[in-house]
Amino acid sequence: MTIPLKITCQEAHHLLSDQMDRPLGRGERWRLWLHLRFCDMCSRVESQMDFLRSAMRRLGE
Amino acid sequence: MAAEEIEGQLAALRPSLLAIARLQLRNETWAEDAVSETLIAALEGAPRFTAQSQLKTWVVGILKHKIIDHFRRARREVSMDAETEAAEVETFDELFARDGHRTATPLEWGDPERSLERTQFFDVLQACLDHLPASLARIFMMREWLEYETSEICKELGITPTNCFVMLYRARMRLRECLETNWFATRGAA
Repeated sequence: MTIPLKITCQEAHHLLSDQMDRPLGRGERWRLWLHLRFCDMCSRVESQMDFLRSAMRRLGE
Repeated sequence: MAAEEIEGQLAALRPSLLAIARLQLRNETWAEDAVSETLIAALEGAPRFTAQSQLKTWVVGILKHKIIDHFRRARREVSMDAETEAAEVETFDELFARDGHRTATPLEWGDPERSLERTQFFDVLQACLDHLPASLARIFMMREWLEYETSEICKELGITPTNCFVMLYRARMRLRECLETNWFATRGAA
């Protein structure tokens, strides 16, 4: 079975969220990395996810 | 800081603590209880803080512990009923067309770190959390505010890891959209 290398933005978004909750598998990591190299939109969302996390850590303070 | 002064400052924190506790517990009585216990503990143990911001950080820390205690005591009560859970995990994904392409482009947020210095930003974040479906808000708060591990959340709420990841994904994407619309597209950019 061959695993497709290219993923859609939707799949990338899911992996961006998942990587905040669990370690990604090697294949997932590689496909996400490859996608982010060419997709500004998903890279943007990745940094926004990090920002959301740091904002939540400070909620109420 | 004098005792009466600490008392006054703690009383002033009550509404914002209650708003957060409600989000996390989704039950008025439990939220009231958690906040009351927090304020009593704070009154008893309040060290001599010089700044109100330090006092607040410390009190929020106590509230987190009170809520975690509550989850421990009431594991059965907080576990999610299967119906709500299923409703949150339908496969529909509003952000994407059927071919997996995004239907709207996310905006550039500029220098978002600067927003963290503004109290209005946290009002918007709180409002966005309030608008999430109850079960999404609760699981997201457990993960990102109480900083539970995902495996602990699954155990506490009695849901599968897959559902857990999907719900966290949905919460993050909705909050992203909400912050963009209500903050970054308008005030945050200023």
